[in-house]
Amino acid sequence: MTERKVGVFICHCGGNISDVVDVKAVREDAAKREDVVLATDFRFMCSNEGQERLQKEIRDRGLDGVVVACCTPKMYEDLFRGQAGEAGMNPYLLEIANIREQCSYAHRHEPAKATEKAKLLVGAQVEKVRRLRPLDVKTAAIQPGVAVIGGGIAGIHASILLGSLGHKVTLIEKSPTIGGNMARTVKTFPTDDCAMCTLSPKMNEAYNHPNVDLLTYAEVVDARRSPGKFTLTVEKKPRYVTDACIGCNRCTEKCPISTAKSPIQVDSEWDAGLQRRKAIYLPFPQALPQLWTIDADHCFYFQRDGACRICAKVCPANAIDYTMKPERVDIEVGAVIVATGFREYDPTPLRHLAYGRHPNVVTQMQAARMLDSMGPTHGSVARPSDGKPADTIVMVQCVGSRGAPGDPSVHEYCSRVCCMVAVKHAQLIKKARPDTEVYILYNDLRAYGKGFEEYYAHSMELGVKYVRGLPGSVRPQGEKLLVDVDDMLTGRRLRIPADLVVLSAALEPSPVDDLLAALHLDKTPDGFVKEYHAKINPTETQVKGVFVAGCAQGPKDITDTIAQAGAAAMSAAVFLGSGEMTLNPLIAEIDPALCRACDRCTEVCEFDAVHVDPGRLLAVVDETACEGCGKCTVVCPTGAITVRQFKRPQIVASIDALAPLAVAP
Amino acid sequence: MTVVARLATDEPQILAFCCNWCGYAAADQAGAAKIEYPSSVKIVRLMCTGMTDPYYVLRAFERGFDGVLIVGCHPGSCHYKSGNLQAKDQVERVSTVLRGLGLEGRLKMTAASASEGPQFAAAATEFTEQVRKLGPSPLREA
Repeated sequence: MTERKVGVFICHCGGNISDVVDVKAVREDAAKREDVVLATDFRFMCSNEGQERLQKEIRDRGLDGVVVACCTPKMYEDLFRGQAGEAGMNPYLLEIANIREQCSYAHRHEPAKATEKAKLLVGAQVEKVRRLRPLDVKTAAIQPGVAVIGGGIAGIHASILLGSLGHKVTLIEKSPTIGGNMARTVKTFPTDDCAMCTLSPKMNEAYNHPNVDLLTYAEVVDARRSPGKFTLTVEKKPRYVTDACIGCNRCTEKCPISTAKSPIQVDSEWDAGLQRRKAIYLPFPQALPQLWTIDADHCFYFQRDGACRICAKVCPANAIDYTMKPERVDIEVGAVIVATGFREYDPTPLRHLAYGRHPNVVTQMQAARMLDSMGPTHGSVARPSDGKPADTIVMVQCVGSRGAPGDPSVHEYCSRVCCMVAVKHAQLIKKARPDTEVYILYNDLRAYGKGFEEYYAHSMELGVKYVRGLPGSVRPQGEKLLVDVDDMLTGRRLRIPADLVVLSAALEPSPVDDLLAALHLDKTPDGFVKEYHAKINPTETQVKGVFVAGCAQGPKDITDTIAQAGAAAMSAAVFLGSGEMTLNPLIAEIDPALCRACDRCTEVCEFDAVHVDPGRLLAVVDETACEGCGKCTVVCPTGAITVRQFKRPQIVASIDALAPLAVAP
Repeated sequence: MTVVARLATDEPQILAFCCNWCGYAAADQAGAAKIEYPSSVKIVRLMCTGMTDPYYVLRAFERGFDGVLIVGCHPGSCHYKSGNLQAKDQVERVSTVLRGLGLEGRLKMTAASASEGPQFAAAATEFTEQVRKLGPSPLREA
């Protein structure tokens, strides 16, 4: 082994270390170790003065290895490495010996033992540092531009912000219009603002923004990454309607689908299945772009070999084009924001609630559609069975949320918004028809947000009745539905004859597994996108350059969604604005002399980061994909693949230095 | 080659391989919370327990450790998806070898999340006591 010049810097941590560990003894022990040319101690290594000392000694003595014995490397390893780099030493020749958390803190009543352990920890790091080699830090230029996937309120808001900062944004939405779930919610709690009145201007802003390129009716079907760049393959589905469309609606009026005689009936997505829609349609009046779309799966032209061409015949603008084909485009961007939102849980599996078996059991999203003056019942909440106004309405909370762990038919998590959605709808109903009896059957009522408690209290003033308890059964009797529930606060069993039962169904992640897999994103056990850190990094993901916003990350209300979308946009802007990214050097590398191209490493790699090059018969590491976990190093039969800074001789040297038995030469 | 004892102690000497994200962070948390565990437990930081080569375990015993503890993330929450599961497989493999060497019960794998300082300290303490009952490693005595 070539001779090295290693410096050891022992920090007192202002007494946190030195009150327990005998720093002088550790220093003297370190000074005796091979290759150690300097062992010193200081009150605060992390202070400006401490860092200056470190840099001065590196420069003056030409150190090519440093051990800082201080707190956990999670605190200041990056800081010290940066300082060492500035002083001219390769940053990756510096290691931390954790003598605070692992010695003075954990063994504070045993100073002698803490000191002995500190000597060994320093020694182990000295031995490791002696075997470290300088690493090149590679950077890659970040491709300008950002893709936002999902055109709900999260994606819209993030796109506007990023566009306004000057970034080129491609907003990709799989349905024919932007707007997402918020567009359907009628009013928003706790202010009862008209949802469309607040959303529509933002939809327009995104649509008209010079820096936002909108791709609707388009889906990301593949994603590839290379240093600093994501290439997304987007499939634009054919609308069969060209930009010549003038929005006259004649095609929809004449379309024979979903008419009384039509064998094809299509549920309207916009009205949550409470109404039918035509095969050629505009999802809702404010939809953007204002382009009609033919749903080929439910169109006589496509389903019956061109049997029907009514829309083409009535179109005054010649905008119908049955020959359109799906089109694939590649988009190159430096960052991606995943804002794929949620869908409402389908309560059919919960048979005791009779959803899907009785028309007068609906979900809150369906209730919202009924409350819309433009909706299927023009604003009155009615029984779908006969259209009569519902005089007694029972709302049921936690449907599909807060279920028993391990029950696959429900979710374990709280969906967070359903309490306030029920309060909102109950109030809107009471305000419109004060004689209506509205019950909310709940488990815990969570009014945690700003203005929520007041909103909840106001609903009680309006006469909304709250019953603590969830129903055991919902059964039809005559025109009514009998709801049986044990009131946990009074101990009484109630039987409520209801006209309408409204289920507060859970929010569950949109079905985007293929997208997440293509982007190499993980999910948390609840099925939502896994964030980099649930507490302090909720908008970043484990893939550098990919961010998450809104309900894709977890259930949240519109306020929180907007806040998080802003945060994700900011994180993406900072990332894009940096212009280049540093590639983690602590990853796997191949020794070509030892590699036999046996494929074991590729089999265990979870990140698709190593491939065998068939031409050279050699494994090759993808430096942008490798995370440096080292699984491959254990299965490699020849030791050809190793992780930098965690190579066998380096780890073995640490083990030996800590071991009870020493081998004398 | 001469082998010399570096420590004159009856305390069971434990080497702990901790993953950077959970085990090591849990040990940090234990320290920060001033939860004590035996000072005879020494930690080697690996990025992932999946990096734990069986050779490292054997080397630790060869160099006189009485027990080896591997602390990773809980199943399902590995920072690298499933490195901890590979580590578990490797532990099972090397355990067979250890049995043949009379080192049964001296290797243990456990999980502690980054916030589970108390669990780390408890695991370190309990494993030390388990090894104490087994007595010094036969390889150290030899």
